[in-house]
Formats: sequence, structure tokens, C-alpha cells
Amino acid sequence: MDINFRKIDVDAYDEDVLLETELYDPDPREPLQVVEDAKAKAAAVRTSLAKGDTVGALVTILDNPPYGPNIDEAKNLTLQTVVTVLNSTKSTDIPNVVKLLPVEAQDTLMKYLYKGMGLPGWGDVSGSVLLGWHEKLTEVAGTGCIVRAMTDRRLV
Amino acid sequence: MILLEPHNYIIQTTLVDKFSKPTSLDVQFVDFDGVRFHLSTPERKTALLLSMHIHCWDELVRYGALDVIRREYGSLVQAQPEPEYNVSLVIDLDTAPPEGEQRDSFIHSIALMKRNALAAPFELAFKKQKELETSASGQGDLMAIHYRNEEAIYIQAAHDRVTVIFSTVFREETDRIFGRVFLQEFVDARRLPQIQNAPQVLFTNREPPLEIRQVPGLKDSEDVGYVTFVLFPRHFANLNVAAGTISHIELFRDYLHYHIKCSKAYMQSRMRHRVSEFQKVLNRAKTEAASSERKTVTGRTLQTR
Amino acid sequence: MSNVLRPYLAAVRSTLTAALTLENFSSQVVERHNKPEVEVAGSKEVLLNPLTISRNENERVLIEPSVNSIRVSIKIKQADEIERILCHKFTRFLMQRAESFIVLRRKPIKGYDISFLITNTHTESMLKHKIVDFIIQFMEDVDREISEMKLSLQCPSSYSRRVVPYSGKSGPLESSFLLWCSSVCVEKFNA
Repeated sequence: MDINFRKIDVDAYDEDVLLETELYDPDPREPLQVVEDAKAKAAAVRTSLAKGDTVGALVTILDNPPYGPNIDEAKNLTLQTVVTVLNSTKSTDIPNVVKLLPVEAQDTLMKYLYKGMGLPGWGDVSGSVLLGWHEKLTEVAGTGCIVRAMTDRRLV
Repeated sequence: MILLEPHNYIIQTTLVDKFSKPTSLDVQFVDFDGVRFHLSTPERKTALLLSMHIHCWDELVRYGALDVIRREYGSLVQAQPEPEYNVSLVIDLDTAPPEGEQRDSFIHSIALMKRNALAAPFELAFKKQKELETSASGQGDLMAIHYRNEEAIYIQAAHDRVTVIFSTVFREETDRIFGRVFLQEFVDARRLPQIQNAPQVLFTNREPPLEIRQVPGLKDSEDVGYVTFVLFPRHFANLNVAAGTISHIELFRDYLHYHIKCSKAYMQSRMRHRVSEFQKVLNRAKTEAASSERKTVTGRTLQTR
Repeated sequence: MSNVLRPYLAAVRSTLTAALTLENFSSQVVERHNKPEVEVAGSKEVLLNPLTISRNENERVLIEPSVNSIRVSIKIKQADEIERILCHKFTRFLMQRAESFIVLRRKPIKGYDISFLITNTHTESMLKHKIVDFIIQFMEDVDREISEMKLSLQCPSSYSRRVVPYSGKSGPLESSFLLWCSSVCVEKFNA
């Protein structure tokens, strides 16, 4: 007797099944454009950093970050840029920088901190730098910031 | 009891006991390395028959164990050992030395039976070294004593030294790692100034030392470790020193494994303690259940059903 | 607490505090069931983003939150073979006693050394901040315990002091190795 019917994934035919795409609104931009945006932002961040404007650099890169599937290139580039900014900031400046960031940027920064810690040894990600930022950011933005990073489905 | 003692405790206590109050007995017991003893009174209460079985008796006889036993025990040695055993002594309580120091040393020497049997190849090697010393070159034969199923002692004399190599098997990974730490400690401890004169100790894992590399049938596995002691003439300069050296070196393997087991027991007790500490921390998190008795105005207690 | 470890533990503490917002939640898949969603992973909408906190590749904590349970997995620092075996022994010892540790998981998840599973029943019967305290204390003590055990293995003088209780007799607390070596050594016969 054919028992293959037992292996059919019946849940896939369920009308009420929840799909990954229904959990959050997709990025309205085209993937190519996202990459372009990320590159443009990286360039802008370099100019800001050259001027010593850390807050400006962070606000630029954390605004409208790439999320969703199929745009790994843009994601990596953005993470790389964020890490560069974080690494180039003196530890004594961190509290002031964090305070000046808008709330959305703080939440996005938290997301990037966790992402960076999830990839130790990737690029020039350094655990101690990220932990330092995490501590200061939590002091300023509170536990709510972590909860928002935890619950936001738009993974960076 | 940091150090293990070379004599057999059971032989000693039983003999002391029987000297004071002879009774008939029949006991079998064991010592390290699977050595079996049988102590009995087959004929009369005052004649004790002590028999010993050693795994590697044939090898020991080849290196002169019988001579050593005869030298130590003289007429006590039986020409025909008890069946299933390798060597037998008859101890006649009536003709034994009188009570006091003499008798104590007599009992002690009998308790050292296993040690004496195993001492033969060492003594042979020391003698060989003395012979070679005059010629200032050459090597004696490599003597192998397979004192346990998978483990062996190799002894070789050279003109300026005697090399003793132990091969030992660690049953599990923990033992292997602990053993390695200990043996490393042995090697390191020698750097201390007060024990500069101790024999040189070398330790290798898996890789057999040069001296025994040509020996066939060496087990090639991660579990095997080789410990090499290099004894110089000063370690067996006179009879007393040589006897001490032999007693210690024979017990090396037992000593090592004994300490591995002790450390494991210690780790276990530490972990037990730590777990109870964690338990306390976790218990602090538990909320007190409201268990106070509630009463009505008239003093009757409420019961939940 | 050492200064290097502090930001790491602080990050774990704040993340745990944020994640420990649990509520009772009946299974959406099976009628009349109520299970830790993070373990069954039956419905996507109740699982939250897993968060990693790491000091380096060898020391990290993975926190997987869900609506009614969180799973905390810890990777303990293991610098060499001895630490590896000690860590393995210790975590195994703990996990065998998972019954009395309530929040401990019997098996670690892959790639980690030990895992905790905290459900809404735990947060209801225990104080949340004390559970967090427990995990933090655990992380602190585990590192210390392992390095102490390693030290006691390597330093015979401290070790032999502790061996004595097991040998059944109390004796002079001398270093066993020194004793052994020096008794073989002929120094005393040199005179």
C-alpha cells in the first residue's frame, strides 16, 4: 500500500496558515535600489566620520535600514558600516552619542548590536566594543529598547 | 596515606595475629596488579602456607626472581609450589624468631614478598650496569615485564644509567587528561632545587620512547602513555638506596592511578558542593507560599476542601 | 566580579530581564495542550527573534524568547583540554540534577554547553529578578569553579591537602609529588 500520502505536508494547504511574509510589511524598495542606498549611505558615513560627526554618521546609517530576504549584500554592507562607526568612537563619548540619537535609531542600533554579537569574529566585530555600546544604550534607552529589538520582525 | 606502602597489609596483620594466637585459617586475597595470595594451614595450626601468583612469573623467573626469593626467604621456600600458584612459603610459627624486633622484621620481610619478586629484574639491571661501567660503553638486554594485561615495565641497563619505562593504559578520556597533568607535574617538580637529585622523568603520550620503539606488539592508541625514569648510579649506589629505589619505582603505576582516582573523587565532591550552592541561589527566587493559618473571629480555623 | 566580565554579564542581565515577560499561552496547534512554545516551535507568530550576546567565539549566550517560555543557552569558556573535560563533567553533573534545578534543561542545545528553559509557570512561582540573579551568578561561578578545579589539579600542594580526607587518614599535609620524588631521590643518602 502506498503510504506516501502520510508524508504530505497538510499544513501547507491550510488556508489559515501563517506565512513568513505576513509577519511584517515588505520593504517597498527594489533589492537593487536597497544596495545602491546602502552604498550611498556608507559613503555619507565616511564623510561624516571624517568631520568627526559620529551622531550624524549613526543617524544616516541607521535610517531606513535594509531588512527582509534576498538582500544579504546590502545587509552586510550596512552592518560593516555600523561596526566601523562603533569601533571608531571613543568609549567616553558613547553615552553622549547615544543620548542624541532619535528613538528609532536607538532601536535599530540595538538590532545591529545583537546581530554583531551573533557573528563574533566576523569582519572587525569586537565583542568588548559591542558590549560597551550595549551597556550604554541600555542605560539610556531602557529595557524597552531590547524588547523592541526582540519583537521587531523586520530583521536587519 | 599520601604514599602507598610496598608491603602487603593483610599478610602483615594476619601474621602478627597468628603469632599471638595460632588458629587454622584459609584466606585468599589480592594485591596490586592482579597478584593473588593464598594463606592457609593445610597440616597444622602452626604451619602457615603462603602462596603467591603473579601474572608475569615466567618473565620474572627468567630475570632471577627465584634466586631473589631464595635469598630473602631461604629454607622457607617450598620446592613444589601449591597448584595454581607460582611460589609458596611455609612459615612455621614454632621455629620463627622470638617476639620483639626480630620477629617484626621477619613478618615485614614476608609481607614484602610481591615487592621482592618484582625486584629481581631491577637488581639484575643494576648489576649489569656495574659490569658495563668498566667498559664505559654498551647496553644490557631490554627486559620486559608484562605485569598487567596491557601494561608493561621495560628495564634496560647502560654503562652510565638504568632506564625504566612504564607503559600504562588510561581507560577513559578523563583519566588520560588527568594522568597527563600529573605526569607533567612530575617532570616540572624536578626543577625544584630540593629534589634536583631525583631521577629524571620523561613522559610521552602514544609515541613510545626510542628505547622500546623496536619492541613488537606495542599498542598504538591515544590511551597509552609512556613514562621513562632514568636512574643514575647514585640512585643505587649501595644496597639500602637501591632497595628504596626499587620499592618506590615498583609502586609507581599504582600510585599514579590511585591519585587519578582521588582527584576524580575530589572533583565530584567539589561539584556536589557547588550544586548545593546553586540550589540555594535558586531557592531564593522562590516566593513564600502564604501558609499562615487564618481564623474566624470566634477562633475557629478555616479549612479548604 | 572582574572588570572584563562586567559588561558581558550586564548585557545578559538586561536582555534576560527584557525577555522574561511571559504569560500563560495555550497551544494553538493542539487542543487542550499548553507547552513551551520555544521548544515545540509550532507557530511562528509566538516566537521572537533569538538574541546572542558574546564576548568572543568561545563565550556566548543565546536567548530565544517566545510568548510563554525562554530558552537560555550558555557556552562556557574552554581554553584547553583540561578545561574542556572539567566543563563537560561539571555541566553533565548539573544536568543530571535538572529535576531539582527546575529551570535547567536536561540537554544543552547544539553548539552550547548548558541550557535553561524558563516557562511562565516558573516566573509565576518565582521572583523574576531572582531568576535572573541565579543565571548571572551561575555564569560567574561556573567560570571560577572550572579554573579553580584546574588549579587544584595542577598544583599538587593544594590538591594533596584535599586528597587526605579521602584516604581515610589525616597525615602530614605535604605535597605528594615532592614527597614521592624526594623519597626516591638520594639527597638524604648523600650525607
